[in-house]
Amino acid sequence: MLYCDAYLTPRSLADAFTAMAEYRGRYRLVAGATDTLPWARAGRAGDVAIPALIDVSAIPELRERRVDATRVRIGAATPMQRFLDDGDLARAMPVMARCAVWFADDQIRAAATVGGNLVNASPAADATPPLLAHDAQVELACAREGKITRRRMALGDFVRGPGKTALEADEILLAIECAALPGYGAEFEKVGHRRSLVIATVCLAAVVRLDAAHAIADLRLAVGGVGPVPCRLHESENFLRGGAATLARLEEAAHMTVGLVQSRTRHDYRRDVLHGFVVRGLASALRRAGGASPPVGELEASHA
Amino acid sequence: MARRRGRGMAACWYGIARTATVDRAAAWAEIDDGGTAKIATGVTEIGEGILTVLAQIAAEELGIRPQDVTIGDNDTARAPEAAHAGATRQTYMIGNAVALAARQARAQLVDVVASQWGVAANLVETANGEVFARKTNHRMPMGDAVSLCKSRGVVPVGAASFGTDTTGLDPVDGSGRPWQAYVFGCQVAEVEVDTLTGEVQVLGVWAVHDVGRAVNPRGVEGQIEGGIVQALGQALMEDYRIENGRTTTPGLAKYILPTALDVPHVTSVILEDRDPIGPLGVKGIGEPAMVPTIPAVMNAIYDAVGARITALPATPERVLEAIKERERASRHRAAAE
Amino acid sequence: MPDLRIDATVNGRAISRPAKPWQRLLDFLRDDLNLTGNKEGCGAGECGTCSVFLDGVLVKSCLVPVAKAQNARVETIESLGRAGALSVLQRAFHKAGASQCGYCIPGMVMAGTAALRANPLAGREEIRERLGGNICRCTGYQKILDAVELTRDVGNGTLPESALAEEEPADGRFIGANVRRLDAPSKVSGALKYAADMTMPGMLHVQVLRSPHPHARIVSIDTAGAQAMPGVAGVVMADDVPGIDGFGVFVNDQPVLARGKVRYVGDAIVAVAAEDELTARRALDHVTVVYDPLPAVFDPREAMRPGAPVIHDDAPDNITKHIPIRVGDVESGFARSDLIVTQTYSTQAIEHAYLEPEAGLGYVDPDGVVTIISPSQNITHHRHMLARILALPINRVRFIMSPVGGGFGGKEDMIYQGILALLAIKTGRPVRYVFTREESIIATAKRHPSRTTLKMGLTRDGRICAVEFRMISDGGAYGLSTEGVMRKAAILGAGPYNIANLRMDTYGVYTNNTPSGAFRSFGALQTQFATESHLDICAEKLGLDPFAIRRVNAMRDGAVTHTKQTLGSVSLMRALAAAEEAARWEAGPPSSRGATRHDLGGAGNRAPCTLGARFAAAEHAAQPEKVA
Ligand SMILES: Cc1cc2nc3c(=O)[nH]c(=O)nc-3n(C[C@H](O)[C@H](O)[C@H](O)COP(=O)(O)OP(=O)(O)OC[C@H]3O[C@@H](n4cnc5c(N)ncnc54)[C@H](O)[C@@H]3O)c2cc1C
Ligand code: FES
Ligand code: FES
Repeated sequence: MLYCDAYLTPRSLADAFTAMAEYRGRYRLVAGATDTLPWARAGRAGDVAIPALIDVSAIPELRERRVDATRVRIGAATPMQRFLDDGDLARAMPVMARCAVWFADDQIRAAATVGGNLVNASPAADATPPLLAHDAQVELACAREGKITRRRMALGDFVRGPGKTALEADEILLAIECAALPGYGAEFEKVGHRRSLVIATVCLAAVVRLDAAHAIADLRLAVGGVGPVPCRLHESENFLRGGAATLARLEEAAHMTVGLVQSRTRHDYRRDVLHGFVVRGLASALRRAGGASPPVGELEASHA
Repeated sequence: MARRRGRGMAACWYGIARTATVDRAAAWAEIDDGGTAKIATGVTEIGEGILTVLAQIAAEELGIRPQDVTIGDNDTARAPEAAHAGATRQTYMIGNAVALAARQARAQLVDVVASQWGVAANLVETANGEVFARKTNHRMPMGDAVSLCKSRGVVPVGAASFGTDTTGLDPVDGSGRPWQAYVFGCQVAEVEVDTLTGEVQVLGVWAVHDVGRAVNPRGVEGQIEGGIVQALGQALMEDYRIENGRTTTPGLAKYILPTALDVPHVTSVILEDRDPIGPLGVKGIGEPAMVPTIPAVMNAIYDAVGARITALPATPERVLEAIKERERASRHRAAAE
Repeated sequence: MPDLRIDATVNGRAISRPAKPWQRLLDFLRDDLNLTGNKEGCGAGECGTCSVFLDGVLVKSCLVPVAKAQNARVETIESLGRAGALSVLQRAFHKAGASQCGYCIPGMVMAGTAALRANPLAGREEIRERLGGNICRCTGYQKILDAVELTRDVGNGTLPESALAEEEPADGRFIGANVRRLDAPSKVSGALKYAADMTMPGMLHVQVLRSPHPHARIVSIDTAGAQAMPGVAGVVMADDVPGIDGFGVFVNDQPVLARGKVRYVGDAIVAVAAEDELTARRALDHVTVVYDPLPAVFDPREAMRPGAPVIHDDAPDNITKHIPIRVGDVESGFARSDLIVTQTYSTQAIEHAYLEPEAGLGYVDPDGVVTIISPSQNITHHRHMLARILALPINRVRFIMSPVGGGFGGKEDMIYQGILALLAIKTGRPVRYVFTREESIIATAKRHPSRTTLKMGLTRDGRICAVEFRMISDGGAYGLSTEGVMRKAAILGAGPYNIANLRMDTYGVYTNNTPSGAFRSFGALQTQFATESHLDICAEKLGLDPFAIRRVNAMRDGAVTHTKQTLGSVSLMRALAAAEEAARWEAGPPSSRGATRHDLGGAGNRAPCTLGARFAAAEHAAQPEKVA
């Protein structure tokens, strides 16, 4: 169990920083608490006593939502379920919607925040690959010498390793900003040991846009679960961009991921699945992007 | 990378009630005021629906409705011994004991009513909450019959026990008579294997089980469906891991169970080969329901992709590895030819 | 820091009450507001027994800090309906037979309600996905899904309300009728009280210190620090047992609290009763146990070797039970065989994972009768054992079976009832002990993991000539039901087939792993998995259809079993025929012919799960607009 002497719910950024200063070194931030509470149980951290829990989910800046044709800005405390039930957001971030149906379950998603997922920095965090695919930037804030200052960085630089991020002890993750990708075809592939409430062994985010000639105008691929941090598959992307979407080319792009798997456990399995996910994930994304998607028929053939 | 389907089957058998030892259970019954009934027995519901089954049995024996039967709490100080809740013995042992106790209580009531009407007791019937005598116009509500009994100084009660004629096993060759009732069954499973990830989805199971006599067919289906899904968990995902004596699966995040997304549609077919020994002809279903599922699923995986899984669970990693192993072997064969 | 004060609307009523800052919404509802309909199945977001609406959104209240309910609207299962005034969905659960043990059901009812609030027209696959956070260990989900679909159809008028009513049997006979479960209304409404939902005036809370070592001698136990803590009412250990210590289903080899040594990680050593659970938990930190670690053994095959660490002095070879069955002469049977196939099979340890973790209350009644209320599957035997342990006449011990939130064999063992009795006697007050999920997993029995070597000889036409079957099973640290499991495994393991020559051996072995015990289908599952897999392997080699090879060998009326019992009627041939017909089975040898069979994909299958059923529904819903 997680025990605390105080549970604070600041209603403004300034109040949050005041509380953080007061409890310096003796607090922990929570948003949805869906990582924090299960962590403080037997078999993991066990009983944990923390002087203060500071709940950041009621701070207006962390609940922001701005969506237009080109950009998206969402507060860090945005629950994962928003990517499914907020139509504008789902259209601007089609791969986040696909990711969200695989994320935990409807109830956890109602509480679990996108910021918590990023800060928790699990190698298998589901939201990270889609956000990498969106070239997301994170915005961090802190109060130093009485002044609130903000800084930004690419998500890829923010997540540093399992449980490690660039967040400083006195910082809060404020918001995430990224490109809107309306009209992109998207797919999120994920495999674990079941189909709900499942931690990914491998997950892959794929988004694609086709040009008038049905060549690949833009695509982004990102993977989670195969190394200490989720990452983009730039080599495969560069190879495919501008070309035709044939099965042979997809296979070749997938082949470029062979050396990428760093996880020691289930290494060969992850390598094989990643390879397959690149092909199949892209094929579905292509189909959703309106492509003729020649490969899909063959791939999804089931002899039933 | 295709998804491949296949089918497999397996048969099973099982023994009903305690193994290789004499089993026994007792029940008390009383036909109560207003034509209701009270049953007390040592052990009942663990979720399988036995409360309802016992109420149905008592109701049928007494000629009243299941809703009118009250089953007492399970309490060693208030109810007769019925041994334990397990071993697929509830319907068989306790169901038969309740039937016998109810018959005794009914016989007491019938005797009083028959003498009141001056008819032979074997002409008196109880049904639909009424007592009546065949070939006559005599008829009264069960509640009135109970009042009549009481006015004659009789409380219609019964007490009965049901035991088995079984023996232990010979310590050298194992010979013996471990059960007096056996059930048999067979299941067919259809699976889809994703050859990219190695994931197996069980899409359909057709399950045939002999239960002796189904007191509540929907309850029997519930046991079959639940048993199959428990077995499916063991077949595909559940794995209590322990390393140097310490578990690495200490909670439900690591010890994973099938969710509603992971389970097949189950078609149950109930066979009734009545038990000739007990008064009801019932046998049981709780445990046998899950026995054939795992081999049926493993046989279906083999049918789909040619991978034989002999170490459970058939996780995606194991299945994919077995598929690759088979591909390697067949390439090897092809090269050798 | 002062407590929080929570102002909220709970089930339509305004409340304003203090709460501890660390409390979860679930604790607040259950402990402070006595709304016990929603349960704690795991405390970690993994099961859904705690699901409640928070401002109209379904959440898992075990992961919601209570402060998040400030100024919010909370709805628990108690708000949806009660016996006599059930909601349509609750009535549909009743009608469909969707509740078994009932422990998951309040959460399921909440999830089903949420699913149809989100999409009143949701299809079966979408319903599955929306129920994906709620685990049920009993039903296999089918009747739960049926119930939600029934609710949807009654809700949108496709089916009449009368579809929810009891069907009276036409012939007035109740045996054979689908009578609705009598206990369903109390389960679908959350009204039924399981042990963890019960309280008694003056009740104390129990916590237990468990071994971190798989095998160690206990050098000393010092409980003075715990005893001295304010709020602690009693501390017990092995020395407090007045009678003959030891329980077990077949052998009484397990002490109530570790006596002299611990044999697995999770073995109970010291138990504390205190005014509240937190104090009891903290008190455990003030107990000092000095251990002298002993060599441990974790592999049953190693445990059987001479010189292996001995776990119980009275079993120097670590064998808990060996069951032999001998029929005919296997050597001559193999000699006559055209095909001999040998294969090894292994099965893993399985957790029962009943949704209700162990819980119980103990008290000494005014007449001095020690009373235990718990979801025990065996109150009769527990009473016998506890009377001996307490050195009391048997009628001074009373067991009451509380509603069981799933058992599957796992609640046959008297794992904690002895602790409740000792503390009730010591403190003179009622005590309650509620396991966490993690405690339930670490301390209680598992399904026996097994390793089987199976050698089968057959004639060309598929007749079994000889079977040699040897299973070694890890029984873990205590005997529990190992003996019975080995026996059933041996009797049933070779399957319902006529086998003239059989050598069957099953061994249950002590190790320092979590104990194995009773689990639904009790050894027959492990062994018949091997035999039924093996028959398919042989069928392929012989070019026979799986049904055909079984028919060749099937026991028929009057068969003699492997234990030489003569049977009367044998329904196996009927079962085979019925399964073949129901599944529309296409005959052929099991040679990975999936690609060529024609019986796939028909009725009786569900659609493969691809996730995202709600997208399809949304696309579908969007279409008419486009047309218009
Ligand atoms: C049953 C279950 C299933 C799950 N399934 C999945 C899944 O499928 N995929 C997946 O990726 N994850 C899953 N998770 C993990 C978890 O739900 C997610 O990681 C979630 O996004 C965490 O967000 P939160 O707000 O709940 O985290 P919290 O527990 O509130 O916080 C997590 C960490 O982030 C920090 N933090 C939170 N917000 C901020 C902020 N704004 N600034 C600075 N620090 C912050 C906290 O201090 C803490 O260290 C699951 C969890 C459970 C319990
Ligand atoms: S999800 Fe809350 S108790 Fe299991
Ligand atoms: S009825 Fe669902 S867990 Fe028992």
